[in-house]
Amino acid sequence: MAVAVEPKVMTPRATPPTWAEVNRDIIKTLDPPGRGWFLGMAVILTGLALGALAWARQLKLGIGITGYTPPIFWGTYITTFVFWVGIAHSGTLISAVLFLFRSGWRSAVYRAAEAMTVFAVMTAGLFPILHLGRAWFAYWVAPYPNIRGLWSNFRSPLVWDIFAISTYLTVSATFLFMGLIPDIAALRDQATGWRKKIYSLLSFGWRNSNHEWRHFMRMYLFLAALSTPLVLSVHSVVSWDFAMGIVPGWHATIFAPYFVAGAIFSGCAMVITILVPLRKAFHLERYITVRHFENLAKLCLLTSSIVGYAYFTEYFIAWYSGNPFERSSFYNRVFGEYWWATWTMISCNVFIPLLLWSKKIRTSIPWLFVISLFINVGMWFERFVIIVTSLSHEFEPWQWAYYTPNIWELLIVTGSFCWFAMWFMLFIKFFPSVAIAEVKEALPPPGRTHAGGGH
Amino acid sequence: MATPPVVPASPGVVGVFDTLDALLLALRELKAKGFTGLTVHSPVPHHDIEDILDEPVSPVRLFTLIGALSGTAFGFYYAIGTSLDWELIVGGKPIVSLPAYVVIGFETTILIGALATVAGMFLNARLPKLRKAAGYDPRFSADKFGIVVMGGPAQVAAAADILRAAGAAEVNDV
Amino acid sequence: MKRRKFLQVAGVTTAGLAAGCGTGEGEKWLPYLVPDENLVPGVPTYYASTCRECPAGCGILVKTREGRPIKIEGNPHHPVNRGRLCARGQAALQGLYDPDRVSQPMRRQGERWIPISWDEALQQVSQALAAAATSGQDRVAFIGGADSGPTDALADEFVRSFRSSRRIRYEAFAHEPLREASRLVFGTASIPRYDFGAARYIMSFGADFLETFLSPTEFAGGFARSHGWHEGRMARFVAVEPRRGMTGFSADEWVAPEAGTEALLALGIANAVFRQGRARVTGGDADALRGFLARFDIATVSRQCGVASDTIERLAREFTDAEPSLAVSGGVALQHRQATQLNVAVHLLNAVAGNVGRTVTFPGTVWDRLGTFADLKGLVSAMDAGGVDVVIVHGTNPAFTAGAAGFASAFSKVQLKVALSSAMDETTALCDIVLPDHHPLEAWGLYTPVSGVTSVQQPASTPVHDTRQAADVMLQLARLANRTIGGGAEDAQQLVRRALGADANQELQRGVTTTVAAARPVRLSREFARLSFGPATFDGAETGLVLLTVPSVALYDGRGANKGWLQELPDPATKISWQTWVEVHPQTAAAASLHNGDVVTVTAGERSVEALVYVYPGVRPGVAAMPIGRGHTRYGRYATGGSNPLSLLGDVTDGSGALAFAQLRVTLTPTGRRVPLATTEGSPRQHGRGIARLAALASMGQAHEVHEPFTAAERRAIARADTAHREARYTLGDYRGEHPKWEMAIDLSRCTGCSACVTACYAENNLPVVGESQVQRHREMAWIRLERYFEGETEGTDFQVAQVPMLCQQCENAPCEPVCPVYAAYHTPDGLNGQIYNRCVGTRYCANNCPYKVRYFNWFDYGSPASPQFAFPGTLAWQLNPDVTVRTKGVMEKCTFCVQRIRYAQNEAKVSNRALTDADVQPACAQTCPADAITFGDARNPDSEVSRRKRDERGYHVFELLNTKPGVTYLTRVVHAEMAEAASGEGH
Repeated sequence: MAVAVEPKVMTPRATPPTWAEVNRDIIKTLDPPGRGWFLGMAVILTGLALGALAWARQLKLGIGITGYTPPIFWGTYITTFVFWVGIAHSGTLISAVLFLFRSGWRSAVYRAAEAMTVFAVMTAGLFPILHLGRAWFAYWVAPYPNIRGLWSNFRSPLVWDIFAISTYLTVSATFLFMGLIPDIAALRDQATGWRKKIYSLLSFGWRNSNHEWRHFMRMYLFLAALSTPLVLSVHSVVSWDFAMGIVPGWHATIFAPYFVAGAIFSGCAMVITILVPLRKAFHLERYITVRHFENLAKLCLLTSSIVGYAYFTEYFIAWYSGNPFERSSFYNRVFGEYWWATWTMISCNVFIPLLLWSKKIRTSIPWLFVISLFINVGMWFERFVIIVTSLSHEFEPWQWAYYTPNIWELLIVTGSFCWFAMWFMLFIKFFPSVAIAEVKEALPPPGRTHAGGGH
Repeated sequence: MATPPVVPASPGVVGVFDTLDALLLALRELKAKGFTGLTVHSPVPHHDIEDILDEPVSPVRLFTLIGALSGTAFGFYYAIGTSLDWELIVGGKPIVSLPAYVVIGFETTILIGALATVAGMFLNARLPKLRKAAGYDPRFSADKFGIVVMGGPAQVAAAADILRAAGAAEVNDV
Repeated sequence: MKRRKFLQVAGVTTAGLAAGCGTGEGEKWLPYLVPDENLVPGVPTYYASTCRECPAGCGILVKTREGRPIKIEGNPHHPVNRGRLCARGQAALQGLYDPDRVSQPMRRQGERWIPISWDEALQQVSQALAAAATSGQDRVAFIGGADSGPTDALADEFVRSFRSSRRIRYEAFAHEPLREASRLVFGTASIPRYDFGAARYIMSFGADFLETFLSPTEFAGGFARSHGWHEGRMARFVAVEPRRGMTGFSADEWVAPEAGTEALLALGIANAVFRQGRARVTGGDADALRGFLARFDIATVSRQCGVASDTIERLAREFTDAEPSLAVSGGVALQHRQATQLNVAVHLLNAVAGNVGRTVTFPGTVWDRLGTFADLKGLVSAMDAGGVDVVIVHGTNPAFTAGAAGFASAFSKVQLKVALSSAMDETTALCDIVLPDHHPLEAWGLYTPVSGVTSVQQPASTPVHDTRQAADVMLQLARLANRTIGGGAEDAQQLVRRALGADANQELQRGVTTTVAAARPVRLSREFARLSFGPATFDGAETGLVLLTVPSVALYDGRGANKGWLQELPDPATKISWQTWVEVHPQTAAAASLHNGDVVTVTAGERSVEALVYVYPGVRPGVAAMPIGRGHTRYGRYATGGSNPLSLLGDVTDGSGALAFAQLRVTLTPTGRRVPLATTEGSPRQHGRGIARLAALASMGQAHEVHEPFTAAERRAIARADTAHREARYTLGDYRGEHPKWEMAIDLSRCTGCSACVTACYAENNLPVVGESQVQRHREMAWIRLERYFEGETEGTDFQVAQVPMLCQQCENAPCEPVCPVYAAYHTPDGLNGQIYNRCVGTRYCANNCPYKVRYFNWFDYGSPASPQFAFPGTLAWQLNPDVTVRTKGVMEKCTFCVQRIRYAQNEAKVSNRALTDADVQPACAQTCPADAITFGDARNPDSEVSRRKRDERGYHVFELLNTKPGVTYLTRVVHAEMAEAASGEGH
């Protein structure tokens, strides 16, 4: 059990923090950053700068500086795009879906997860532009009235993407900010100086009055209700970028659920990856407990098995369909030039997560952290395998080829991780990374011994 | 203990409570006495409070519904309209390829629905509030509860008594 | 020939001549302040001329726009190439605009070249000539290439006027052994003319007659006529050679004798013919031949050649059954110590089969007057001995091709070396003075490839640089030295017009005059019997591999090396461009554990060169083959890649004094490095996907089962849906009304894989040349490519090669279109896949979704002079077709069915107010195809040629089951073989 693993940890069951403590502890995380934070930021900004330079060079000379080898016309960029969109999913899942299901454990972790979502989408959004041959004309994809009288082609999954991703960004950002309002009010009420001014502004004059709560709770409920199908739709649409193509290895009906499961899988892993250091740095052991991690681990386990099943189905149907192109494509995936990518994917996403069946491992933070890293790698490779190996081995044998990313692509990809990290680092210093109000809801109100919270 | 004299000029009174139960007690009492224009400040929403106040369901849901429906309409209108604006055949598919446009319709449904919902909240909750709220106390965002009662001198005085009786830690003029 | 085009040729050339051969004078006229009535902006002007890229002498029409040649096409009136043109011929344009051309006269000072004036240069040279002439006989030498007509005579006269007889018409590929064999067998030292069109059975002993041998474009036409499947009949073609090249790919059967024993095999077959009593010779000849051939008894021959004796018997039977048949030999690759014997043997084979006078005739050709390698060696030793004071080199590059003769060192001993050359090649670099020559497209001449055919050569443009035609220079030099040659003619134009006589203008318009030349009748001579016949020997350790140096279909003897189009053209056999490879048999490679791309040192004695290994089932074990043409040390920016196998050769000659191109055994030693091959080849097998289909002749006519993915009901439903779609479509804005539906049919039974269509596309559509590093990444931009698949077991010789030109299929249900977010890809009303370059944002989704993989992406800014990857440096930019956009960085492009030609023809038709006919429109690839394999036209017109070919029983669509409804119909290639079921897999 948890205590056995981390004796220092005090679960709410042990002695629940009082509401006052909650305010104190969580607002404490906004104290001026220390050396560690600045050091980290320096590294992050350097990586970001390198990525930016690489992109500048690509814009100047042409996308040919990358390793693209026809017929592999999509590579690392789209892979990383799908990776980030996937990451973006668990956030909304935890905040919206678990909210609808009234599962209490979400309250401590959903804020960080949601922030992660927003920043992940912001990162993902870069790549469709990055990979364009003429990035400076990216806006042509959007259907806006123009003198050419030409709109965009709504039959193209890429246009669906534009709508799905931008909607997702808007809604999840709104959702995050709405959840923040009561907390910002709390910040405002104890802050001083310029911070007070800013928070007053951002709190819209929130007063925790019944007139506000009444409408707020409704709004929150409906946002959650709208976000839930949105989460499912976004990654389905992304998967259709491939499923709508006739490329063997892409053209499959299973793609939507398969991708959604994968997205939640990678998202939960990333949440773990982020929460572990966050919890340590901010001493939030009282709020983010082993129980939370265990639940995330269980989600990973579930989605991992779904993903594993999807893999199996893919290969089975490829064989069962008798379609020679499909068969050849999938055979090549496992035993062809790209065997290394495929096996990395399978071991990281299917085999390694099996460890989570053991409660010992499931409840051990170090184990979880390491496993979550493996899952992140594995899910990146899943997209790489789907995109690159399928394209490398299509209908036309004369046009089979082999592609590996080169330094410029890798610089840009690293840059994208830094871009994500930068926003997150800023966020945790300006806003509470654990939801003050909702943690309180989960705790017994002053004068009571059990939390009758809720709505 | 000695209580300060009630100054009739005061438009209202605020009771600060340490515990939820004391708050609920006072609230019930006030409701029973037919007080209106009550404002309850609580760090988190609590169903007990809602039960006592027992207000009608928030109209926000209407905003959601209307927003979502107009979103759907817009999405399809947009896709179909632009396709017909300049008929271009691609891949031998019909000019109006409805199955493809469902995605667009869906996304706009969510988008406009969500934005309308937020707008509804802001309108109904009268946000943003620019002026200081009467009787608000910063502790209400931490761990204290409060009831603000507005009214004529007589009512205010009566309210103050009720609050005290219910066990308010403080009862202050607004 | 199109009426319109002909009128333009006629009208403009006449008027042009009146104005002193004026095409427009380049830039000067562009403002059109005083417009020239013959130079309408936007309207092309065609000039008839003659291709001088090889001695074949094909007739060409040079398409000029606003005074600049922009494309070269075949002259439909010309008896040699009948309107078709090979890759090299079309690339002549890049010789004209070569960015490394010598642009003015220069004098060499050590390694530096100093510009000098024409007058000064001519003065110096003429004085030197005069001095040399006074100091004695034969102290002046003139080395030129194949030539004929007045300019050729002038050169002789010129040399003579300086008291010398040293004039050599030097061609690296002069086919001396063939000529010598004709003398020995038929008493006439002449290169025969072959009629492939009439032959019912073709046996080639290493003659690459579809690539570089004599007159490939002419032969390809005839070959397609006889060997192409037509109403159930087709000739059989057997390739007898140790290496199966592009020509061999069209063979129904490959017989691979031991290298050097081909002569014996031919004699063995001839012997068998007699013993089967099928010989068609009578009287004394018969007895003599029978007696002679008896020496080559079949069992022995079979042992020596490694060919089963029943095969020999069968070949003999088949060869004589078919009437007439044809055996050819004389290819450069098999020019070994026994080359003359080989050609003698093949002549005899033709004689006994009674082909002489039918498929083999001796009208006399331009090759008959070429010098031999031995002649060159003679000159070399004279130069070495200091017996020559002045050497003038014109239009040939012996320093590169005749290294074996020790040319360079001897040449440097000459006092004054003058180059009449337009390129700074190896030979020119050794000279003291270079008097830059006109490019053939700027020059005058009359050329007679075969007696009876007089082909006109006239300028299609004013000189690009400050150059002068060699003939003019000779006239001027003679004049300065107070000598009168050329009958006192002013210049080459006058010489030519004088030779043409009164109706010069008509001839200049048609470009060729043909008089039926009575082929000289030949009688069997007995001289050949004095030769000693045996296996050719090769220097070097017995364990080594016999090295075959193979002429390159793109670079010929290396003269094409500085042309980007030709360097980037994948070799039809190996599909490698830019690099020099060495072909080794899979077994050899396995034994030595060599892999594709391994850099090996090819060593012969002291000499060695580096090459990349290409494992290739088309060579016999124990044989290695390398392409001739790369590895230049000078000649220009595109030429210096690769290595030159000729530098391995010693000056070994055969009986006829020809260089033995095959004389060595070499050893391959890995260097440990591996370089990605600059190849377009993905998988060499088509995995039964039915892309390039073969069918056995036997199986034709019979209904062979077709894999049908849909049930009858489904098919009906699909059909109904399709018609519904079409109807719906025709009610829409632009799509309303009767448009033509442009489609293409490609007959794989005619296609030889020569790749002329590829170069035509480069020329017509401004395709950029991307260079070795990009081709290594499969980033070549060829809108049409030749896919080459091996079918059957490639361990032995019993496999077929399936080739298919793959280009945009212009699908009706194009998968590329709906995925484009910005409508850059859409369907035009006349059934094309439109690709709007300036709308494309470069998502590359269309390319992913194209099952045929025929979309090409601009990875770099090939079209912008500012970009490091600029593909049209210097004057090369002048070659661009003004009707076609030069694409910018980051956009997708692909075959358009030459939409610019379609629109031009439509406008023309509208202007002259008549209906558009099929003949009006031809894409560049169809127009140039030497085998006439490609047909283009309106598929909605049931009487159009393309519609008829579509209905052919052999017609099929690639990947039919994807329901893309391609606009390109392929016609299955029929082979004389029992296999082919493997390849005829219907769509999977």
